[in-house]
Amino acid sequence: MAEQKKEVLLKIRDLKIQGYTDETWIDIIKGVDLTLHRGEVMGLIGESGAGKSTIGAAAMGYARDGTRITDDSSIEFDGMELTTASEGERRALRGSRIAYVAQSAAASFNPAHKLIDQHTEAPLQYRIKKRVEAQEDGVELYRRLRLPNPDEIGFRYPHQVSGGQLQRAMTAMAMSCRPDLIIFDEPTTALDVTTQIEVLAAIRDIVEQFNTAALYITHDLAVVAQMADTIKVLLKGNEVEQAPTEEMLNNPKEDYTKSLWAVRDFTSPQRYRPKDGVPLISVKNVDASYTGGAKVLDDVSFDIYEGMTVAVVGESGSGKSTTARCITGLLPPSKGEILFRGEPFEPDYRKRPREQLRQCQMIYQMADTALNPKVKISEIIGRPAQFYSGLTGAALKNRVDELLDLIELDPSKFYNRYPPELSGGQKQRIGIARALAAEPTFIVCDEVTSALDQLVAEGILRLLDKLQNELKLAYMFITHDLATVRSIADEVVVMQYGKVVEQGPKDDMFKPPHHPYTDLLLSSVPEMDPNWLTTLLEERGVDNVGDAASAKMAEQSK
Amino acid sequence: MFVLIYFVFLTVCFLASAYFNQRTAFMLTFSLFMISMILFIVGGDAALRSVAIGAALLAGAAAVSFGFKEFLVQMADGDAGAFLRGGMMLPVMGVFALLAFASAYLGWGVTEVFITLVVLALILAPMSPDFAKELRTAPLTAAFGMFVIFVVSIMAIYAPLIAPYGEAEVISSAFAPRDESLLLGADQLGRDMFSRVIYGARNTVTLALLGTTLAFILGAMAGLLAATKGGMFDQAMGRTADVIMSIPSLIFALLMLSIFGGSLASPSTSFYLLFGFAIIVGLLFLAAAAEGAMGWVIGAAVMIGAGLAFAAAGTTIFDASEVILILVVAVIYSPRVFRLTRAVAGNVVVMDYIEAAKLRGEGNWYLIRREILPNSTAPLVAEYGLEFCFVFLLIAGLSFLGLGIQPPTADWGSMVRENATLISFGDPTPLIPAAAIALLTIAVNFVVDWMLFRSSGLKEQ
Repeated sequence: MAEQKKEVLLKIRDLKIQGYTDETWIDIIKGVDLTLHRGEVMGLIGESGAGKSTIGAAAMGYARDGTRITDDSSIEFDGMELTTASEGERRALRGSRIAYVAQSAAASFNPAHKLIDQHTEAPLQYRIKKRVEAQEDGVELYRRLRLPNPDEIGFRYPHQVSGGQLQRAMTAMAMSCRPDLIIFDEPTTALDVTTQIEVLAAIRDIVEQFNTAALYITHDLAVVAQMADTIKVLLKGNEVEQAPTEEMLNNPKEDYTKSLWAVRDFTSPQRYRPKDGVPLISVKNVDASYTGGAKVLDDVSFDIYEGMTVAVVGESGSGKSTTARCITGLLPPSKGEILFRGEPFEPDYRKRPREQLRQCQMIYQMADTALNPKVKISEIIGRPAQFYSGLTGAALKNRVDELLDLIELDPSKFYNRYPPELSGGQKQRIGIARALAAEPTFIVCDEVTSALDQLVAEGILRLLDKLQNELKLAYMFITHDLATVRSIADEVVVMQYGKVVEQGPKDDMFKPPHHPYTDLLLSSVPEMDPNWLTTLLEERGVDNVGDAASAKMAEQSK
Repeated sequence: MFVLIYFVFLTVCFLASAYFNQRTAFMLTFSLFMISMILFIVGGDAALRSVAIGAALLAGAAAVSFGFKEFLVQMADGDAGAFLRGGMMLPVMGVFALLAFASAYLGWGVTEVFITLVVLALILAPMSPDFAKELRTAPLTAAFGMFVIFVVSIMAIYAPLIAPYGEAEVISSAFAPRDESLLLGADQLGRDMFSRVIYGARNTVTLALLGTTLAFILGAMAGLLAATKGGMFDQAMGRTADVIMSIPSLIFALLMLSIFGGSLASPSTSFYLLFGFAIIVGLLFLAAAAEGAMGWVIGAAVMIGAGLAFAAAGTTIFDASEVILILVVAVIYSPRVFRLTRAVAGNVVVMDYIEAAKLRGEGNWYLIRREILPNSTAPLVAEYGLEFCFVFLLIAGLSFLGLGIQPPTADWGSMVRENATLISFGDPTPLIPAAAIALLTIAVNFVVDWMLFRSSGLKEQ
């Protein structure tokens, strides 16, 4: 392996990429160098807007619409200069010698064709294999990636396969021509922790088996620590530093890198339930189902006390968001009830009086869809204040200023702007301000940090914690990220298949003994230790991680 | 002599473009040069002349469009519409429209001035530096379209001042040839063609504009409401629209017009029909806005009052057959608008911000007005332009069949029919109103294309 590594596969020198905005060309990537050897995996890390994906695309000689690679940049792939190569020559490389794995496999597969047909497309196009051969090879790859029923899964359509399996099928597809280089663009970001671990293990194995070089783009440090041989940190189109994984993790040189590493340090102190208080919100034996469907929630009960944060964790489909919809009244429960300070809440939000509606506000995961792009910030925040408290004129303006101050945005700058002009973190803050404007006692936070970069997410968490202390708010914090739970929660509720499997104060939950499912969730959270994945797989065995394990557990509980 | 100049000019052009390395310009001029040589051999002097005239016309149109675009850019850059934004636009336009109506009714003689002010307000309102940026990137075709629309609207508003003769004034013998005083000749009764084309702009365009607007108010309101309410209301609306759409539109129009319209139209029927239309629209508005029983009672009272005023105004301005025509057009085209609006609003309704507003306890009217409408205006405006063309063509077609605008009122569609006999004598007179129809339709489509490009990001590769 050592000899093979010496051969340089991809050499990028002084890469500058410009984007066209406001009638001028602006540098997005400001001169990045990159050298990748055969069989080497390099992790590209940075916040959104750092230019990770742009560099990934440039490695294929591709510049997205509205961007261009400047003339003095050089991208050399296996001795071939891509910046001067013709479009035809570059096309011949893509799919056969350089492959790409996108973030959302569900959106990248064509829903109208079977997986295997999409898999064999590239080998047939390049006349590397006959169709039958390619199909057999596909099945072989599915087997190596440990997909269930490898002989049969390829003949399904994308919507019949789960997200984690699709992501692995996509990796298999990228492998179909045995490329020299694969670009992984955040392949596990959209997945649950338990699913992510399977995909990571599969990708790592297959890259090792075929000695393929890879660029692994992600913003999750713990993930990149498992995958990469070297790590390159990017910030706003500039390279911050590059070092082998071990060295980078143990002693980062630059301040920015250190700050990235330090993100997970924030923890709010554990609060305890008041001795003899009435819970603010109490969910009592709630069952719920969507029209005509099977039960999504099954006998869910938990309490939320004033000024405390209850984190609801579980993988997607476990009923976390449905519980929130029951509390807010969007989905009236079919059995059981929601109590607010001991009084029952109307099950349907349309029948709730204003006073009840104001008590319970929501903050959404996707700030992009949660804020109306055509309405000014001042109105987005001002409307609840006007609606519930009847403020108008100068009083309303003062209130909006006050709220903007609370979320640490400068009122004079943001008052008249529109949501599309803000960054992701700022949008999420506006979402928080809108919830606060109603002066609620209880806020549902639905995956509020999962769409954000770690540094920004940490800022949001600190803000939420500060607001909680100042305003005595109670949070129901829905998340699948256990690191977030560890930092902000007071109590934890673990859900699986619509049932509460375990609940209790945070300090107890993170100490053994665990319920087996909680244990699975906890063990699946990637750690910064580069040997974590290897150790874990050795300890538990490949069949006892991820979806396979959680399915087994469901089997047993029946 | 002409031929010599022609070829020398082309040669200079392609040599210059080759020298300055302008690839497309060179290809264009050089291929024109080659084609001209063949044309000269086949068609002689005359063919080259028509090519030159065509090219000059094209260049002229391009130059004018460019100038008009620059003019608009300058206006937008200067933020000419600043004073109209922020809620001022509707009141200003409303006041001017009322004044125009009063002036027409009481005979002050300054109706045109007020209508101009309304149109000006409409043009100025979007003029902002942001808009200037988009205008700069607009293609010349869009500028050409805007220019044509601008000219047609001037023609329509000031028709009595521009036209040398009256609309139905017989001034010479039938089919008199064109000369100094009759710019486009005379029609089958000896009326001035040029004056009638100008008056035709006023009649046809106004009716098409009104018909489209009413279709939009009805269809868009129903669509927005169906998307927000869903359930049974959505179903009922959808099926009603399906029923109307299942009848071929021209047949349906012919049917309705032969029952109510044409020469049979009476002022009282048209008044009742107009009032009925107003009540339907009013009910839709009420369903969205009214809260509680009190709201319905007050709303219904306001609605009946507004409906009566609307019907009275409609029947005073237009004669009975025109009112019927507008209504028929509105009913026929509203289902298409309904479908589009419902689809567009359906995409907006599922957004989280709508859920947030619903959880806040906002009513349907707030949801529609503040949350859904601002996010669906772009496709709706584009659709408005498109539907305007269809409506315009339908009215022209109906007039051609004799069921639309009644003589002696000038109208582009019926003018084509009235002069149709001349076609067999090789005279282009009937083609003039036809060309006017084509020009306006194409112009509107150019502008709509640009708007669609802007709103939906139909990026060309």
